[in-house]
Formats: sequence, C-alpha cells, structure tokens
Amino acid sequence: MKVKLKNVFVVYFLVSVIGLMYALLQLGQPCDCSQHLRSASDLMHGKDKKISQLLSEVKRLQVRGKGPELEGQALPIIYAITPTYARLVQKAELVRMSQTFLHVKNFHWIVVEDSPVKTQLVSELLAQSGLRFTHLHTETPKEQKLKESDPNWLKPRGVEQRNLALQWLRENRELSEEGVVYFADDDNTYSLRLFDEIRSTKRVSVWPVGLVGGLRFERPLVEKGRVVGFYTAWKPNRPFPMDMAGFAIALQLLLANREARFDMLAERGYLESSLLQSLVSIEELEPRADNCTKVRRGTGSQDSWVLSMVLGVQWIKWVRAGDQDSWVLGVGNMKFCL
Amino acid sequence: ITLSNPHLWQQASGVAPKVIQNYVYSRPPPWSDTLPTIFIITPTYTRPVQKAELTRLANTFLHVQNLHWVVVEDSPRRTNLVSNLLEKAGLNFTHLNVESPQSLKMNGSRIPSHKPRGTLQRNLGLHWLRDSFNKTQPPEGVVYFADDDNTYSLELFEEMRYTRRVSVWPVAFAGGLRYESPIVSPAGKVVGWKVVFDPNRPFAIDMAGFAVSIRLILERPQATFKLEGIKGGYQESSLLKDLVTMDGLEPKAANCTKVLVWHTRTERPMLGNEGKHGFSDLRMEV
Repeated sequence: MKVKLKNVFVVYFLVSVIGLMYALLQLGQPCDCSQHLRSASDLMHGKDKKISQLLSEVKRLQVRGKGPELEGQALPIIYAITPTYARLVQKAELVRMSQTFLHVKNFHWIVVEDSPVKTQLVSELLAQSGLRFTHLHTETPKEQKLKESDPNWLKPRGVEQRNLALQWLRENRELSEEGVVYFADDDNTYSLRLFDEIRSTKRVSVWPVGLVGGLRFERPLVEKGRVVGFYTAWKPNRPFPMDMAGFAIALQLLLANREARFDMLAERGYLESSLLQSLVSIEELEPRADNCTKVRRGTGSQDSWVLSMVLGVQWIKWVRAGDQDSWVLGVGNMKFCL
Repeated sequence: ITLSNPHLWQQASGVAPKVIQNYVYSRPPPWSDTLPTIFIITPTYTRPVQKAELTRLANTFLHVQNLHWVVVEDSPRRTNLVSNLLEKAGLNFTHLNVESPQSLKMNGSRIPSHKPRGTLQRNLGLHWLRDSFNKTQPPEGVVYFADDDNTYSLELFEEMRYTRRVSVWPVAFAGGLRYESPIVSPAGKVVGWKVVFDPNRPFAIDMAGFAVSIRLILERPQATFKLEGIKGGYQESSLLKDLVTMDGLEPKAANCTKVLVWHTRTERPMLGNEGKHGFSDLRMEV
C-alpha cells in the first residue's frame, strides 16, 4: 500500500495537537501537592534526626572504643570509683556524671551499688552511657546503715562499696598498668581540667576542694612545691584533713599495698585518713592546681584555683512534715537505708 | 580532641611537675548547616554554687550539636566568673545581663519563695533573639528555657530539635510529684495535665517541660513572661497562652511516657565555718 507522505504528516500533526490540547486543559487544575510536600518534609526531618542520633552514637562509640593501645602516648587510665544507692535523684545524678565523664579520655567508671543485686536502673544507664565501666554491688551491713532519722554524718557512707572497688582493681589489674584512682561521689561537680591534672599522679596528688568543711573551699598548704599542712576549719588535726574529692591515688600504689582500705569504724571525718595514712606521708603528697601558690595576681586571674570545682552539693528534699508540706534542707541525702 | 601534652609529666621524683598552661577541652560536635539550632536560655545569679552549676551544664551542652547558649545574669554587670567560664567552655554562647529589682531578687539567704524568678532575664533572652533574627527569614530552631540547677539527658535535645510550634514532655520532681506530665490522647494530642498542684492552670507545666520554635517566637513579638500579678506556678502559662492553645501542643518523649529531664535542685552548701568575718581567702574563685 502506498503511504502518502502527506497522510503521515497529517496524522503526526493531529496527534501533536491533541496532546497539546490535553496538556493545556490540565493547566490550572488544582493539584494537591501539600500531602507530598509534608510527607517529604517529615521524611527529611526523620532522616536528619536519625543522622544526628547516629552521629552521637558514633561519637560515643569512639570514646568507648579507644583504648590505650590506640593512643600515640599511652595515657594512664583514670578509674573513678562511685558508690551509689537508690533514691529519687539517683538517675539524675548518674546521668549528669556520665555526661561529664564522656569528655575524659582513657576513663573507666567503677560504679558500686549499695544493694544486694545489680539494679536495672543502673545497669541500663551504664550500658547506654557510652563509657567503659565496671558494675559492682555490695550491701552495707544493717548496723552500719543510717536510719531515716539519722543525720547524714552519723555513720560513714560508701565505705564497703569503695573497698569493693579497690578489691576489684587489685584482682583485675597488674602492677605494670598505669592508672590513677579517684573517688567520685555521685553528688559532686567535676571540671574537665581536674582529670588532666590528676592523670600524672605518681603516688597521691591533692588539690583544693570547693564548698566543703563548712568553708568556701579547703586546700592543702604548699611551700616550695611540697605540702606542708592543710587550710581547713574543721578538725584540722586529722592526719589528712581532706575531702574524699580532694585527692587521687596512683593505681600502682594501691596494687603494691594490698591491705590499704577505708576503715568502716573510723571516727567522723577520718575516713580519708584511714586509707591514706597507710599509703603516703604528707611530705610525699603531690600538689596540683599550680601548687596552690601562684594566685595573687591583683586582677584576680583566679584560674589556678579554678580547680576548686569539686564540691559537695546536696539535694533539697521536699518532705511532708506531718500533714503539712514543708521544705526541709537536704539532710541525709546519702542515706544508705533507702 | 586533645588533652595536654603527656611529655610534661615529670620524670624524676621529687621535682614539682611543670605547670600545664594550655588546656584544650572537648569541643562540641561540628556545626551543621542543616540541623536546626537549639537556643538555650539560662538565667543565672551569683551564689556559691553558681560556678559548679554552670560547669556541669557546660559539660552537658558540649555533647549537643548546633547548640547556642544564651546566659543571662541577674546582675548590673556581666561578672568575670561567668565571662571566663563561657569563654573557656568552647560553646557558642551569648552573654547578657539584667538586674532584677530588689523585691524580686533571689539572693543567697532567702528561702525559695513563690515569686517568679528569672523572669526579666528570660525576657531579655527572648528580646535578644527577636533582635538578632529576621522575622521574614527565621532560622530553623527551637528555644528552651534551661535553669542552671536542673539535669538534662542528651536525648531531650534531640526530641525538642524539630519542634514546629510548642512541644511538651514530662518533668521529674516538679509540682511535688515524682514527675508531672501532659496527658496525651491515643491520637497523640495533649488533652490535659497529670498534676496535683493547681491542675487548672492553662498550662500546668514546668519551665523545663516545653520548648518553642524560633519561628513562633519571632511571629509573636508580644509573647513574653509576665511579671505582675503572676501566682506561683503560672509563669509558664503567662508566656504560652500568647503562643499556642492546648491542642496545638506537640507531645514528645514517646508521647510523654519517658522522663528526659529532672527538676533537680541544689541545696545551699553549709558554710557555717566561714563565721561572721569570713575564713577562706576571698580571692579564690569558687
């Protein structure tokens, strides 16, 4: 059959015109794209959220994954021993501690619960923290526990737990491993600089502590780079009139002196001394925070004493006194009987 | 992230360690161009625990990407303590100050009262935001009022980041309960408040329990915290009523089933041994 070129053109022309008409008719029709836009935007938000979650996960894993063998110069590991016990604010305390510790390189958190079992709250918190940790538990014997009505200074707190942590270190670490042990109670605040300073501890290092002993701060007195006494107002005749947060001990010293531990029966305020006196003498203490001497610059660049940023903060508890609600200043925030 | 040079550790015993001059702290994750910014407004005032509180807040915020900290001091002048802390922290920050009139001041010796505190400071923070950003091209972001004595989980910030208008979630230890929480219907809308203290408040929620998108803040320049005639517990409502209605709230934290923020409070430290004339050296910044 002969196909005329003219017919081909006509068909082509007609098809094009029809197509064009159809397209033109589609213009101006309402098109509901908002649904697509919203879902696309949600999708993007979802993805962004996932990305930021993954990024923080990566960061956490990086902190955890880095061991001393990956460092150029192996940094001594800082072991922070934290006794803890169940009470309302426990989770909040541990959460914010973990947020601080995540910034510290080569860090190992030893958390010891005053409990017959490992609680789910602490187990989950540690697992999600992104930190290297050891989770222990031991229950303070009943006679040693504070009763509800006892003031919090009546019986020593956290003793069994800290001793258990020391035992764990002695059973699981070698003399060859470099490390520093620090007792970090769960209600204090720690500056990041503190950890830089204590890492170089050879025996026992000491520094000022803020807001303890009824003072704005307590500190060791230093002359010519050696500790010669202590600046404190409360029981200054103690062998080591310091707060638990004011010193750190080299791991090797603890491993070499396997019997050194806290004495449960120590008189009030003597807990720190009960451990330290078997480890070191005052002359051997290593002062930190710029020897606590170079402070008196007129304009007050108090940076050198900025390390007094370990302080004991306690909780205001809102308790019902009889049938009335009243504010009671937090006495006994570390009641181990709870 | 690098710490101080390990070569400075002393080699021989008996020699005082060299003074470490430069500390390089943790830095926050790099700023992203696409992630919405979280503006944190923190009122603060001078008292012994101030530095500790701001330190631990900084330690928390250093983990959060795209965070801008607006610290407003209740003070006639910006103090050195806060200035130095902010500069060294490594965070993006804005440092403001406005002094509360004497009647509203929260000084160290007063028992906490129900007078609204931090109001002027928070309003100044809002004012700065409105001054700094163009209403016609608002940045993507959210505003959160974070008091300096609370505890915040890192998850909280990711929950609030994508707030469209006002998002809400439970707060532990608020209103005399283990936690206060919005009541969320199965459809995912806020329908009430699971609280004991004055449940008839328009927004029975703690300052730490909500966040507002920047866009909304800029759209409603008249929305501020009110000072006059505000009963205890109504501060939050005085702002939120000008921004949103209950059904416009976005519940977060898995439909308000998780606690991601704790209304912790810090006890005043016992400084009895300072005596009347002071004992410890005042030149030491604590």
